[in-house]
Amino acid sequence: MKKLLLLLLTFTILIGCAKDDEFLEPITNEEIPQSLQIKELIGIKLENTIVTDRVAMNVKLPLDGKYRIKIRHGINNELISQEMIDAEEGDNLLRVYVASLDKSGYMIQLTDEFHNVLGNQSFVVN
Amino acid sequence: MKKILLLLVSVLFTLNTFGQSSIDYSPVNTVTQVGDTLIMKFQYFKGDGNDLTLGQVDFEYNNKLLSYVSHQSQAPSGASFARNNWSGYKYIPKTDGDEGDMDVQFAWWLTGGDTYSTSADWSIERITVQSASALEDGQEFVKYSFKVKDKFNSGYDNYNDIIKVNWANYQESDGTQIQTTRSKDGQDLSNITGGDAGSFTINLKTANTDNYTDYSYTVFDSSGTSVTSGDFDESGQGVIASGVLVNDVTYTAQANLTEVATYLDEVVTVSDLALVFAEAIGAGSGPSGGSTTFDYFIQDIMGDVVGDSNGVDFQDSYEILAYLQGVDSSNTNLITQAGQTEDYSGIESTYGALVSDVVTFDKSFTPTDDTTNAIDLAHGLRGDVNFSHSWTPTIESGGKSLMARQSSARYSKNESEDANIDLISEINDEGQVVFSINSDVEGMVGSQFNIVYDPNVIQLENVIFDTGNTMTNFSNIVESGIVRVGSFNQELSSTVKEGTPYKLIFTPLETIDNTSGLISFRVKEGVKADGTKINFIIQ
Repeated sequence: MKKLLLLLLTFTILIGCAKDDEFLEPITNEEIPQSLQIKELIGIKLENTIVTDRVAMNVKLPLDGKYRIKIRHGINNELISQEMIDAEEGDNLLRVYVASLDKSGYMIQLTDEFHNVLGNQSFVVN
Repeated sequence: MKKILLLLVSVLFTLNTFGQSSIDYSPVNTVTQVGDTLIMKFQYFKGDGNDLTLGQVDFEYNNKLLSYVSHQSQAPSGASFARNNWSGYKYIPKTDGDEGDMDVQFAWWLTGGDTYSTSADWSIERITVQSASALEDGQEFVKYSFKVKDKFNSGYDNYNDIIKVNWANYQESDGTQIQTTRSKDGQDLSNITGGDAGSFTINLKTANTDNYTDYSYTVFDSSGTSVTSGDFDESGQGVIASGVLVNDVTYTAQANLTEVATYLDEVVTVSDLALVFAEAIGAGSGPSGGSTTFDYFIQDIMGDVVGDSNGVDFQDSYEILAYLQGVDSSNTNLITQAGQTEDYSGIESTYGALVSDVVTFDKSFTPTDDTTNAIDLAHGLRGDVNFSHSWTPTIESGGKSLMARQSSARYSKNESEDANIDLISEINDEGQVVFSINSDVEGMVGSQFNIVYDPNVIQLENVIFDTGNTMTNFSNIVESGIVRVGSFNQELSSTVKEGTPYKLIFTPLETIDNTSGLISFRVKEGVKADGTKINFIIQ
């Protein structure tokens, strides 16, 4: 019994030591605005297609892990911006900042760490 | 007897040929270009010994090519003169008669048949001179003045038969009709120059094909006065409307890139620096060649960013290096950069040609009727020796000879290759935004990245270099939200270390959960020791 308590205590301490901000907070489906809800198990969705300064984004993932969010030019597909996120399974509410991008058409793309495409969406910076 | 008959026939034939009066019409002056005034005289020649007291001449002129100005009677004192005119008609000659037989044609007109048809291009003039006494041989009836019009859009390709006498009514005082011929079937004008060149197109030639609309053109006349100007459209064409340029007049044209273009700081990069350094090391030559590393003479001009007209030397290379490093050299340089352009332009077919050891940019052109009304205008920028945003000369004399390019195998600005790198941003454990440039590319003596970020959301704190011990690194904020980062080895011997040679650290100015879109990249290129440009591909 002592051993069991010790094990429980150790586990509790370990969990307590984990950084709160290491993972993005899990979000329940009720918290997702309708405009950002994704029916499929995996995907990426922006709140608006025509954006100016910044826009809310939902990234829905099958598993916890590292993923890439890429922004490609809407004509030549050239990659012009890329970030790596540590995200959790399910919905992840994020933002896209477009103020420094040229006014043009783009594609935002969700891939896994190894560039396998999981979803994409067109958007326009106006 | 036979001989006598033959002689009689010959005499009769001669009398018949030379026994007719004539209406002679011809120019008094010489006209050479559109807008000149043509003066035509209409003259009586007595060929038959009859006494002409009534002369009436009907002629037509092409009102699309000639514009009536005035007429001056030349009738002798005491004679009566009258002029009639009708626009929009053309004479229909008697089909089975001699078109040049003026009294026959007059008789045809007298029948009252359909001798004129409506025709908007033609006008009929009729003059009448009546005198109590016989007119002298060679008496002029009238002089007409016409303005020569441009044949552009007239529907006519030339000025042939623009005036034609239709018929003549020559009579003696008793009403006897005098046989009359005309001196020519029609009046031609030749070698008429000038006139509206019509719609004229300038085709811009530049490597900067995504941004044609950032360029403008100006056309000057021979005195250097601007005739017209405008912007190129999205296809790189500038269209000058009709009525602006005139045929057979020589103009000059130049193209300019706007100084507010957002990418001017991407024109001169580390690849240009490598080429200029190589030239300074290996050449030290002027336009005449020597042991140059450049492929084109125009590069001597483009690379002379100090503007001392002394070709490319180390001063130019260090000036570009200082520019990339963001160091103020205290020199006034000519490097194309944000807010500053130094344009070169000229007719593409001769752009960058070497003439008497001088690199030339001939800008002159002359619209003519016989050529397509368009020119190709090439454009280049100072400092852009690798032609990333400039037109590469095509004229043979603009290229340096292989002998002059002793090191050409080492430095070839046309060569480029692709290599994969990974540029990525993420938030680290400290909440900072870290932008990493990860590269496994070998053999780069230089690299450059122009990074764009949102200065309202993140602030650049630091740039961490891990490029090796012998590289000259640089990072400078070009303008708010744009930072230029890179490295260069001036000896062209050491290379950028593989791994993560550059890491930019940003501090968020507000709470952020991710960095999508916050950091983007524009210039991303490397250069090898042999001058080969490396285009970075990001998966």
